[in-house]
Amino acid sequence: MTTTTRPSESADVRRSRLVADVARAGSSVAPYWPLTSFVAVNPLGGLQERPFAEATEVARSWFDGRTHLSLDDYRAEHARGAITDADLDAALGRFAPTLVAESPIEIGQARVDVVDLLRWDLLHGPSGEVIRRARQPIADALDEIVAAWCATYVDDAHVPWAMPDRDQGFYRAWRAVAGGDRRLDSLVGDRRRISDLPEDPVEMLDLAFEIRGVDDNDRVAALRTMVLRTPGWASFARWCDDWAPADHPGVRLKMLDLAAVRAAIDHLAPEHVSFDRSAERDLVAALRARTTTAAGAFALTKPSPHELAAIEAALGQLSEGDRVAIWLSAHEWSFRDRLLTRLDAPVTPPDSAARPDAQLVFCIDVRSEGFRRHLESLGDYETLGFAGFFGVPVRWRPLGSAVARARCPVLVSPRHEIAEVALDDDRGYLSTCSASAGLHDAFSAAKGGIASPFALAESAGWFAGPIAAVRTLAPGKSPTTQLGSTSRSRWRRFTSRPRTAPVVDDVAGRDLHTGLSLEERTLFAEAIVTTIGLASFAPIVVLCGHGSHTTNNPHASSLDCGACGGAPGGASARIATAILNDPDVRSGLAERGIEIPDDTWFVAAEHDTTADVVTVFDTDVLPGEAQALVGALQRDLEVAGERNAADRAKRLPGSAGRVRDRGMDWAQVRPEWGLAGNGAFIIGPRSITAQHDLAGRAFLHSYVADRDPEGVALETIMTAPLVVAQWISAQYYFSTVEPDVFGAGDKMLHNPVGGIGVVVGQSGDLAVGLPMQSVMFGEQRAHDPLRLLAVVQAPLDRVEGIVLRNSGLRQLVEGEWIHVVARPTEHDHWSFRRPGGGWEPWQPADPDHAATAALLTPLEIS
Amino acid sequence: MTTWNNLTAMAKIEVVVDGDDVPAVRDLFLDAGATGYTAVSGVSGFGHHGHHQGKLLFNDRASLSMLITVVPMDRSEALIAGIRRLLDDRHGVLFVSETHVSRPDYFA
Repeated sequence: MTTTTRPSESADVRRSRLVADVARAGSSVAPYWPLTSFVAVNPLGGLQERPFAEATEVARSWFDGRTHLSLDDYRAEHARGAITDADLDAALGRFAPTLVAESPIEIGQARVDVVDLLRWDLLHGPSGEVIRRARQPIADALDEIVAAWCATYVDDAHVPWAMPDRDQGFYRAWRAVAGGDRRLDSLVGDRRRISDLPEDPVEMLDLAFEIRGVDDNDRVAALRTMVLRTPGWASFARWCDDWAPADHPGVRLKMLDLAAVRAAIDHLAPEHVSFDRSAERDLVAALRARTTTAAGAFALTKPSPHELAAIEAALGQLSEGDRVAIWLSAHEWSFRDRLLTRLDAPVTPPDSAARPDAQLVFCIDVRSEGFRRHLESLGDYETLGFAGFFGVPVRWRPLGSAVARARCPVLVSPRHEIAEVALDDDRGYLSTCSASAGLHDAFSAAKGGIASPFALAESAGWFAGPIAAVRTLAPGKSPTTQLGSTSRSRWRRFTSRPRTAPVVDDVAGRDLHTGLSLEERTLFAEAIVTTIGLASFAPIVVLCGHGSHTTNNPHASSLDCGACGGAPGGASARIATAILNDPDVRSGLAERGIEIPDDTWFVAAEHDTTADVVTVFDTDVLPGEAQALVGALQRDLEVAGERNAADRAKRLPGSAGRVRDRGMDWAQVRPEWGLAGNGAFIIGPRSITAQHDLAGRAFLHSYVADRDPEGVALETIMTAPLVVAQWISAQYYFSTVEPDVFGAGDKMLHNPVGGIGVVVGQSGDLAVGLPMQSVMFGEQRAHDPLRLLAVVQAPLDRVEGIVLRNSGLRQLVEGEWIHVVARPTEHDHWSFRRPGGGWEPWQPADPDHAATAALLTPLEIS
Repeated sequence: MTTWNNLTAMAKIEVVVDGDDVPAVRDLFLDAGATGYTAVSGVSGFGHHGHHQGKLLFNDRASLSMLITVVPMDRSEALIAGIRRLLDDRHGVLFVSETHVSRPDYFA
């Protein structure tokens, strides 16, 4: 053990530099949002400043996980026709244009083109996937202990008593009690040494680095290695450090504390920090295996050393990472060709003079696409796509709640709060809410204790037992529906919710400290109308958010609206509607050149994506003629829901007739497929997609380039909704290719931790990402792991300018986290943006296949 | 240290960083004993990495932010060292200047 000689610097300077190093190390980790407001994130988000190819190579090393499908998986896609030979050849040509042009190799009596050799290797060569590094058992045991302490620190809901001194931070709280942790006995020797460790986490880190001889230049890497031993908890710490709202009520697990606890344990048991380095040797052996197999395939029974060397030299130009990268590219272009071939079809322009019966603005979420298609077929309806928070970034405080939660993308910090108030007498309802919340809290606390569950079973079993029986034997039936009619009537009177409204103005005297000024409301209204691209208005304009109602599902909020911060979108729709119906706001809009007819009414709704039911809100405030139109629309919404549910049933196991009840079944691990299948983000008028069944594979954002000459709306779309969609896309991608590392693993084994997340099994690291059941059905993938394709109908120079002047977007596009194709108008052909800039005309690799192959592979549901 | 018009000299530290790096700078300020800071989001301009767009409608993270704090001179060395360390591997600029304040106890 050596000690680093440090330059003379004060303790304060050393401390400050160390704090900065922790921040630098922590920025390599993607944040993880608590399950109460699940937000899809790219698990490699901490590496997003690097190009995708480089980031995935680094991630394979850091996380010991796959970043692509395996060669066998890609070959299976090829075998079933999802990737054609032409796709593979095109991908190879793009990836290695110089290799394709290389001189043939002399093999036996034949001359073999290098490209033929490489293609054969891609299709048939043995996999050289690196074997995971094996850690010593003691290291795993220590990781388990750190993870368990993290769970204890953050959890005040499911433990018999809370960890003391939590307000002092994780390291100090752990240090105060870890001396009593008998699990450490066999791992670190005398655990009483813990009390000799520094009290301050920064001093602990400083001591650890000094004793281990970690040079200043190596500290960031060392810190990163420490925190990535429990990557799930590190991700939560990143959220606490960088994303948690200032008024977040729970304890904060800071990256500095997590690193200090890790450093303390490493300090006490330094010998466990070593890794098996056999992986490097495996790579050499793998290339040799590829070479000899290829030689055999090209009819060389006894290849000469010269021939073997030539084959090895050719194959060695493609690493294991390159091979799967080429397959990914082929897979992506296959989808791209299929989608763009459809979108390249002639477009029937809408009749701009006609006024539809209703316009319905749905969230851009891929689940809206099918519903919109069915609804459009039922009547004179125009549908549009917009981010489901409808451009109103606020905190929402429901009736009876003391807590307001953000209802907007996490990229925005809401500055306003909107409260829901009762229009009728709400005293009975509020007292019922208060009583049931108290009952729920007491029930949960008793259930989570050590001895209290026994008493709970005795005292509340008569009540909970029948409910559990109904939920088990008749999923989909609410316990209240089992009551007799008289009892049901009494129950409704007791619990019925009064009529309510969001208070969107800031009229003095209400003393709610909420609302928006008239100028703010008018600005929001203008942004909504112009970003959607609304130029004319139907008598009814429905803003339809979406949410999902499921039971016994810790990941329930992952099915809600991402644009609403992982919450249902109905509240946002109601707020936006209240603003747009405000006569003063409309006057303000008129002054800005936006005339909304007096007979146009905005109406709020919410699409339950699990039940395919649309609830329309606040219809009682509408005039009679508008109510009649809404009534007719509601009948068509019900039919559209039935048809959409029938489509969804084809991809879900179980009874097709019960598909709309799945959310009520507390044993259901797959209430719906969520956003599985997402692959593209289309920015353009509905007319270019309306005639196609896109199989729920595309986010649809309305945009009409002619109405946005300055590109303001397009810039808003590309810097916010597109970025959020990329996070979603990346989460589905990585949860699919590596469910146990970047996903949350098997949902059947989940145990909740502190309302924050889940662990797989009894204990362990926090499981981030999506459960396996959200992306897989048995061995079949319900999601094609592809990078997001942005499809934009707008002038190319406008798209290019927006990409170049927004650094975050530029990273995504130039780093090939997102692919971009565009065309100026529907009369032009598509061009794709090269990673280094510039546009190239799109041509499908296999036009016949692109025109006939399905957009989405059917699942074999037995 | 009172030097000019009965005002106390202090160090003014201004940092312009990506929106994602604001929490790290804020933590450094507070860990170094700064009693407050000012943050300006949506900063636009032009620099080594080309144009930087200003405030975006629905993304507070994608644009640059400027954070400003004032600390006693004897605390500035550590804070400057930490920020320089942070900026070793990310975009951003740091400006340090001498300023004068009328209420030094606000910043101590």
